[in-house]
Amino acid sequence: MYPSPFAYHAPATIEETLALLARLPEAKILAGGQSLLPMMNLGLAQPGALVDVNDLPGLETVTEDGGGLRLGALVRHRTLETSPLIRRRCPALAEAASLIGNIRVRHRGTLGGSLAHADPAAELPLVAVALGATLEIRRLEGAREVSAAQFFRGYLLTDLAPGELVTGVRIPPFAPGTGYGLAELVRRAGDFAIVAACAVLTTDGAGACRHASLALGGVGPHPLVMRRAEALLAGGPLTDRRLAEAADAVPGEVAPESDVHATAAYRRAMARVMAYRALAQARARAVPGPGRAA
Amino acid sequence: METAAADAAARVRVRFALNGSPVDVWAAPHETLLAVLRDTLGATEVKYGCGEGVCGTCTVLLDGAPINACLLLAVQAAGRAVTTVKGLGAEGRLHPLQGAFVAHEAAQCGFCTPGMLLVAHAFLADHPRPTRDEIRSAIAGNLCRCTGYTRIVDAIEACAGSGTDARGEPA
Amino acid sequence: MARPAEPPAPFRIVGRPLPRFDVADKVQGTTLYAADWRLPGMLAGRILRAVYPSARIRRISVEKARALPGVAAVLTADDVPQNALHEDPTGLGLSSFATPVLAADRVRYQGEPVALVAAESEVLAQAALQAIEVDYEPLPGVFDAGTALAADAPRVHPDRENLLIHWKLRQGDVEGAFRQADAVVERTYRTQRVDHAALEPEAAVAWVDGDGVVTIRAATQVIEHFREIAEILRLPHNKVRVMAPFLGGGFGGKEDMTVEPYAALLAWKTRRPVRMMWTRQESLLARPKRHPFTMAYKTGATRDGRLVAQEISLLADAGPYPLLSPRVVFAALVVGCGPYRVPNVKIDARAVFTNNVPTSAMRGFGAMQVTFAYESQMDLLAEQLGMSALEIRSRNFLQKGDRLPTGEALETEAALPRITARAVDALGERSRPSAPSGRVGRGIACNMQPYGRTVWFRDRAQAWIGFEADGALVIRAGITDLGGGQAASLAQLAAEVLGVSPDRIAVHIGDSALTPLAGGTFATRQLYMSGNAVVKAAGELRAMMIPVAASLLEAAEPDVQFAGNHAGVIGAPERTIALARVVKECARRGIPTSLLSGFQGEHAAPIDLETGQGRTFPDYTFGCHAVEVEVDAETGTVRVLKLAACHDVGRAINPQSVEGQIQGGAVMGAGQALMEEVAVEAGINLTTLFAGYLIPTAMDMPDVRALVVESGEGKGPFSARGIGEPPTGPPPAAVAAAIQDAVGVRLMELPMTSERVFDAVRARPARPEHEARGKV
Repeated sequence: MYPSPFAYHAPATIEETLALLARLPEAKILAGGQSLLPMMNLGLAQPGALVDVNDLPGLETVTEDGGGLRLGALVRHRTLETSPLIRRRCPALAEAASLIGNIRVRHRGTLGGSLAHADPAAELPLVAVALGATLEIRRLEGAREVSAAQFFRGYLLTDLAPGELVTGVRIPPFAPGTGYGLAELVRRAGDFAIVAACAVLTTDGAGACRHASLALGGVGPHPLVMRRAEALLAGGPLTDRRLAEAADAVPGEVAPESDVHATAAYRRAMARVMAYRALAQARARAVPGPGRAA
Repeated sequence: METAAADAAARVRVRFALNGSPVDVWAAPHETLLAVLRDTLGATEVKYGCGEGVCGTCTVLLDGAPINACLLLAVQAAGRAVTTVKGLGAEGRLHPLQGAFVAHEAAQCGFCTPGMLLVAHAFLADHPRPTRDEIRSAIAGNLCRCTGYTRIVDAIEACAGSGTDARGEPA
Repeated sequence: MARPAEPPAPFRIVGRPLPRFDVADKVQGTTLYAADWRLPGMLAGRILRAVYPSARIRRISVEKARALPGVAAVLTADDVPQNALHEDPTGLGLSSFATPVLAADRVRYQGEPVALVAAESEVLAQAALQAIEVDYEPLPGVFDAGTALAADAPRVHPDRENLLIHWKLRQGDVEGAFRQADAVVERTYRTQRVDHAALEPEAAVAWVDGDGVVTIRAATQVIEHFREIAEILRLPHNKVRVMAPFLGGGFGGKEDMTVEPYAALLAWKTRRPVRMMWTRQESLLARPKRHPFTMAYKTGATRDGRLVAQEISLLADAGPYPLLSPRVVFAALVVGCGPYRVPNVKIDARAVFTNNVPTSAMRGFGAMQVTFAYESQMDLLAEQLGMSALEIRSRNFLQKGDRLPTGEALETEAALPRITARAVDALGERSRPSAPSGRVGRGIACNMQPYGRTVWFRDRAQAWIGFEADGALVIRAGITDLGGGQAASLAQLAAEVLGVSPDRIAVHIGDSALTPLAGGTFATRQLYMSGNAVVKAAGELRAMMIPVAASLLEAAEPDVQFAGNHAGVIGAPERTIALARVVKECARRGIPTSLLSGFQGEHAAPIDLETGQGRTFPDYTFGCHAVEVEVDAETGTVRVLKLAACHDVGRAINPQSVEGQIQGGAVMGAGQALMEEVAVEAGINLTTLFAGYLIPTAMDMPDVRALVVESGEGKGPFSARGIGEPPTGPPPAAVAAAIQDAVGVRLMELPMTSERVFDAVRARPARPEHEARGKV
């Protein structure tokens, strides 16, 4: 019902935080707490120490970054959902955030926390992969970057080493003529997706596909990039037939498992349907013209 | 970790505002805001319903934003303003939302009601003239097992456009 | 049967949508539910639960737990004075059963209570639980109701077979009738385990009062459990008191004892107040569920759609302990054919023991599950005969005076044609699909649900009613209020009879020491029983006071009326005196202004156990729901676009409350239809997170149109019928019919998840795009 006792740390600076994380490898980071606290309330997680990062300065900023966006790790889902800048520059992120849980979860949950938690059915990891986002990671010894596609390693498993903290996420700029699509199959609004697809398509002035990005969630231990589908789309016209061919390539590239909510076979079939819908939405949004981002 | 020692030794002083009045309590870091509100401060209008953040019965406003009190540590509320359903309405007077819930019988067992009212209030503050679908979307995270939601939507819709603050005064 | 005295229609208070007094408290957050109660020195109580569904307990070690600082008590089976709850599961003395309070040497379901702790805080109690060591030896178990009766199935209980109960109903000659039938439909339907998911988890605070009375303030539907608790503690019955505050929902999940005996044991042992709150996950794990039913139906009809025979086999998974399983299955037996005339009926209804999570009462109580089966059968027959869903039902609807399959005559009007027409009309124009892959479909389902307990139980409800000197009124009744306005309805009834305005009536409920016992709130009996009791008491009181008022007013008794807190003369508005004055005069003359009265339910001998013939329930509530859905043909996702739910409530005492019950019940039924399931595999409950138990949110359901028919025939107060359970029944069948209308497949298993719809559509033989036939 309630968490078991732990040693609580609320460092004032990032440096202090990194020093703590280096010193206490068993410590868990407390950001939004919307995934960690339920586990602690249920007794499924009983960490000996918690490092509360909520008051760290400078981690909640949203800035333009050479045509793209740079978001601090502590940007809340609610900000992603409602910020005019994010809705204009990266509506895929705003829409993904609006699908997370419920309003109360969105007021506290953070971008960095969601990515670090790496639930394979979560919306933000999926969109980060499809958008080609880059994560900024810091540790006591220094900083590094990793692409979202490289960051997610397995079920609830990321590239993060002990002592490391996600500090920011960069979304690359999008060429004119780019559109996104996000399609998910959920049992109820706000639930974790059974299957979700995020597509980003860039067209040239003639409506042909210059660049295609397609990622699926809920069909493997982490968001999966659909390389065959992407290859089928690149360079060609974005006809219904072409989209269908790309979607048909998806079931062969996913590795879903069965659980109480859905069987692997159903997930595989829905992967194709969601992929098509995401691609169709992306195509509809990809109007050739200056400066319109995904 | 030695539980009793941790339980007793690690208490810290936590000061925050509760329904507009300052509170000053000692809480261990592992105590959630829900536990401190209910068991230390006697604010039993905030309920325990699931501990997972999905039911909404523990909803409080933190600086005006609805959150899960079961998923916030009490120490994290330091310096913040916490509002429960008892912070709606003023002395001896129901907030229009509360009045609407009574008039439309938008509560049966009433267990979801405090959380539902707070979410509705925060929503109407940002969306003075919502459609019924928008209302449904706003309260989708607050579960109700008794009413089937129709009358709750009726009551919130009836208050739309009234433009009131937490006390029920014109905003 | 004597009817309580009724004032002439039209009614002044009955029938008005008065705001409920408890709702005003609830919106302010001032209502103190069971877990909100605090006493000085209160401990936190927790239960240690079995991790295996079937196992021997070799050893329990509690020393480490007892030694932890802040732990006040750790109890096991040896510490329970009488570690057995003695039950007569059928209520007919057919068998007796002893359920352990704490498992001694054997556990029979995952989550069975094994030990108790009381500690200074929840966190310390949690730590104490973790410090208890239990050495289990897992044993084979029975995990499938279908194989529980096989010769080689392990025995759940050593001293008896796995068959808990086998009810039978035989009327006419089904074999012969099937041979004559023009159309026969045979199908098997399955419903799933469902959780009540009341927003308030189970909770109680227990303490020992000054006089040694063990007092439990519990979220319970039944305060009469004080007797069982007394037995367990080996105390006289008058040394245990159960109080029930307003519940945060019950739905049958708080009808059996949940926390009460455990909180009582800990309080009694420690002599300190103990609060026990179940976690949501604990509640999902181990609190008894709605029975999953397997229902084999064979239904025969003539060419023109008249039913001639029903052969039905029902099988319910009863978990390891009887609880209310025999009675749930009995209710299913009685209404297994639905609200239709059927001359030849053969029903076998069985409940079997398994080592799965226990099952017991839930809103609808067996009569709910069979609705899915009998209504689906009607639709399939209609399809075979080329008739509409409406036509086939109209040909067979029960009418007053018809003989039910149990041989008894239906004594009240079954306003089914009217009810059905209203539900169908309310759907309005057919919606257009919202996407190219969307298919819109419509369906209806009718049901009958008993209200009141079976007539062999000698059901009784008492109420005390009395005037204060200032003319205010007090009602004391042992009812419990689950949120359905049970308490407020008593005030509204008394207001009608005695002319006291509702705001001048105080209702005290739910205290086994201080309020006359009324029987629990279940079986949709409370309005029928306690409503009648209050009307009877109020009528008797009025009869005593009218002569006094008449004498004060110098009027003839028939000309005197009580209204608006005054006694007055009909037709002479200036001749009026305050009721307080009448009360004062009664006191002067030595005439009582309060009394205790009771309402006795109908009584009859039990049914014949071989034929199921005899009197069963006092009466039934009839209803019909009409549903429109949109199915996404590519994913199988079903969205409910419209839901109209109509019931004949006899008389709507408070129309707003009645509509609220209908809306809430319909959404609960729709949740069971589409998304709810407690998944259990090999006795292990896989659904232990609330995030994983899907009940409808505000975005999953449309506005529910609640439609009320008032036939003026019901056995409750002012001819009302019960409405608590009936609305849960029709949605699954109505939704199944609507899905068939939309995409041409009939699902026979609940819940109708998108995956199941998808698989059914893919398996459907290829044919031209299915067109809605406009059956509804």
